[in-house]
Amino acid sequence: MDAMDEIVREFVVESYENLDRLDRDLVDLESDGESRSLMGSIFRTIHTIKGTSGFLGFGALESLTHVGENLLAELRDGKRPMTQRTTDVLLQMVDSVRVILDVIEKTGAEGVHDTSAVVAAIQQVLDSEPGADAPPATVDEAPVQAVKKPRIGKRPAAKTATPAAAASAPAEADMPAPEASPQAAPVDPAPADALPTPAPAPGPAPAPAPARDGEESHVRSAAESSIRVDVEVLDALMRHVGELVLARNAMTSLATEMDDATLVRASQRLSLIATELQQGVMKTRMQPIDHVWSKVPRMVRDVSTALGRRVKLEMIGKDTELDRSVLEAIKDPLTHLIRNAIDHGIEVPEARDAAGKPAQGIVTLRAYHQGGQVVVEVSDDGKGIDPQTVAAKAVQKGLRTAEQVAALGTQDILQMLFLPGFSTAETVTNVSGRGVGMDVVKTKIDAIGGVVDVQSTPGVGTTWRLRIPLTLAIMPALTVECADEIYAIPQVNLLELLAIDDAQTGLDQVGDAPVYRLRGQLLPLVDLRDVLGRPARETVVGAVIAVMQADGGRFGLIIDQVRNTEEIVAKPIGASIKRIGIYAGATLLGDGSVTLILDIPAVARRALEQQETLPDLQQQATVDTDTEQMLVVSVGEDRQLAMPLGAVTRLERCPADVLEQVGGSLVMQYRGRITPVVDLASLLGTGRPASDELAVVVCARGDRAVALVAKEVVDIVDCADLDRSEVSGAALLGSIVVKGKVTELLDLSRAVTSADPSFYDAHEPELVGAGSDR
Amino acid sequence: MKALVIDDSRVMRRIVTGILRGVGFDTVEAGDGKEALERLTEHPDVALCCIDWNMPVMTGFEFVVEARKRQEWRDITLMMVTTEGEQGQIVRALAAGAHEYVIKPFTPEIIVDKLELLGLVGARA
Repeated sequence: MDAMDEIVREFVVESYENLDRLDRDLVDLESDGESRSLMGSIFRTIHTIKGTSGFLGFGALESLTHVGENLLAELRDGKRPMTQRTTDVLLQMVDSVRVILDVIEKTGAEGVHDTSAVVAAIQQVLDSEPGADAPPATVDEAPVQAVKKPRIGKRPAAKTATPAAAASAPAEADMPAPEASPQAAPVDPAPADALPTPAPAPGPAPAPAPARDGEESHVRSAAESSIRVDVEVLDALMRHVGELVLARNAMTSLATEMDDATLVRASQRLSLIATELQQGVMKTRMQPIDHVWSKVPRMVRDVSTALGRRVKLEMIGKDTELDRSVLEAIKDPLTHLIRNAIDHGIEVPEARDAAGKPAQGIVTLRAYHQGGQVVVEVSDDGKGIDPQTVAAKAVQKGLRTAEQVAALGTQDILQMLFLPGFSTAETVTNVSGRGVGMDVVKTKIDAIGGVVDVQSTPGVGTTWRLRIPLTLAIMPALTVECADEIYAIPQVNLLELLAIDDAQTGLDQVGDAPVYRLRGQLLPLVDLRDVLGRPARETVVGAVIAVMQADGGRFGLIIDQVRNTEEIVAKPIGASIKRIGIYAGATLLGDGSVTLILDIPAVARRALEQQETLPDLQQQATVDTDTEQMLVVSVGEDRQLAMPLGAVTRLERCPADVLEQVGGSLVMQYRGRITPVVDLASLLGTGRPASDELAVVVCARGDRAVALVAKEVVDIVDCADLDRSEVSGAALLGSIVVKGKVTELLDLSRAVTSADPSFYDAHEPELVGAGSDR
Repeated sequence: MKALVIDDSRVMRRIVTGILRGVGFDTVEAGDGKEALERLTEHPDVALCCIDWNMPVMTGFEFVVEARKRQEWRDITLMMVTTEGEQGQIVRALAAGAHEYVIKPFTPEIIVDKLELLGLVGARA
């Protein structure tokens, strides 16, 4: 590369660095107009660009920065106060400078730019009476008026008016195409002479390699002790370290096999060194998240101004470090989330006033390390997300059916925001409603093995949380066995491991779907053997449930056996294997064997969606009616009872002899307490079936519980109001037809109060009820 | 001969050092006036300083004032490298003890001419 190219490249790099800082400085300056050191720093940046572009023959850049410098000089010398209008034109100038730099970076030449619009805008500020154009009261209006004045020309966004408008839109992407620019921009011969290499002067051999440029000035921190390294070198280094880790793993397993003390010692040392090297190399690739965040203040300012919001930005954990490639990958999702927070989160000042909040909203960015991952949060204190609106939207857009939505908890409903084709914006704005939605954010975060979720409280605010791996190159994984094959599961998805000791505890069926009762919650189960199409297992006893987190939900993956935790290096897999849709990649294990890495979110989608379709098929006729899920139990003599599932806390199975008669009422010991029992059989007037085991439906409220005993749990069905016939009996609301069978509808609250009259006293009762009044 | 190039811009330092090396100088670099004072202490054999005006921490002008206070640096030639906008201030720098000034953008010839004038490089053939 010749010296000219290198100087130009250096110029572009240096200017970008300076401009990033300048953006921040300008926004800071707006709130702290008095800071002379900020002003000085801004002035110097533009001054330097101007001075250097003169040398390099970048005329447009020079003339543009020249007027900017004049304006900045007046500001710096206190001849003119900082106003929003001034900031606007300066930021406009910075944008134009970036556009030109971009072309220079790509083509090495400046290209053709019409900077007259921006120059004129700055000139107009210069010509105006200092301070006269921006009375502080009109802060919100100023920028808009400014660009509407005909003299100013077009703002970048408005490119329709004049035929020459294309050229007058400096910040627009419709610049002359790079191919066109080299010929259009012959570099001025005079400045070209200024280059060091062709120096016509006499003297010893010209030194085309100028002094090392590692030195940076003091403002850019203590940079004397740092050097600039090409990212590709680091990437290559990281790949090699990845290979080394694999070789180390092989060595370790070999040493264990050979049982040779010397070899073990040697391999332990190798292991230690490899780990340190790996950490060292990872560190070189680490960059503080501030690299991405530094552009945020400017963006927040622009977006909030455009939308008429008042937003204060807080950034916590700027120094949190991430791998460069991860940082690069979260840039766009983060930008989208922030824009979204301002556009859909923060209310307009009037609405905030009305809600009793400060007119200025707060957007908080927070980054921290947690459990080997980096968590990045984007929170706002805005209006929050109403789950009902989201649910209604999902139904309206045909993404989910009404009964599916009705069965979902708040968290699951919010998770639907990430479905493709979902956008809650009432009106499409040019800020965040661009046809791309949260699904794009999710896709991008998924792609780097991260997880995104959202929490929201209506009226209080919303928090979007990204959990991302520290690095993409090496990841901790769990190796598991299934039908004599070994698979790797990324640790990032793993919550806990449960051993199945016997076939009873915790395992259950809901409809056709197997579930596991984990600490009172139902965990859908997926057998990895089924997913992989391997022969079904004879017994689940001895198998292991890996509780996985994917797509904001949890599920249990049944595997044969857990092998080990291992650091693995993910290798890409061929398209044909990828197309199967359940493998994320492959890796080499310590023993040299190739192992496939399971794509847990994909496994979850595949397996669980199949299960979800079951109720759909049964209840297709009632898709559009108001439905709710009903638990159906059988009660001897071939009779069935249905009750709203929402009111049921737990399902248990107990031996029949736990029921005891105490003073005329039936009780049982449940979780160490004496719990009143309702015998559903006697409620219906049938005899209690002779069976060793009973199905127990527990309704709990606070610390009170009532147990309803039946013969067994039959099914969970979606049931529409319309199906009911009003044939009532004692403690019955009517009857419905479930799969061709007449099933009586239990008046649950009446049944419960018959056993425990004060059951509902402590709490409001509308949660229970038979659900007919919804 | 050794020259100290003082500028906060890497690119500008590179351009100036390029020209100076072309005419036989060894070069040392500094990113601001304060650093320049340190470099001067480390390299007492510096014969020429090319000084940018606008720098963080310590400006070129402040550097000239400081450097001129030191007896042992008396023989060092101080040349201001400035832009048109700062022309008015040149007088101040010259009064404070700078010897020469060049205005950006300059060509290698302009620099060499000035250096010849100052007797730091031999006249060209």
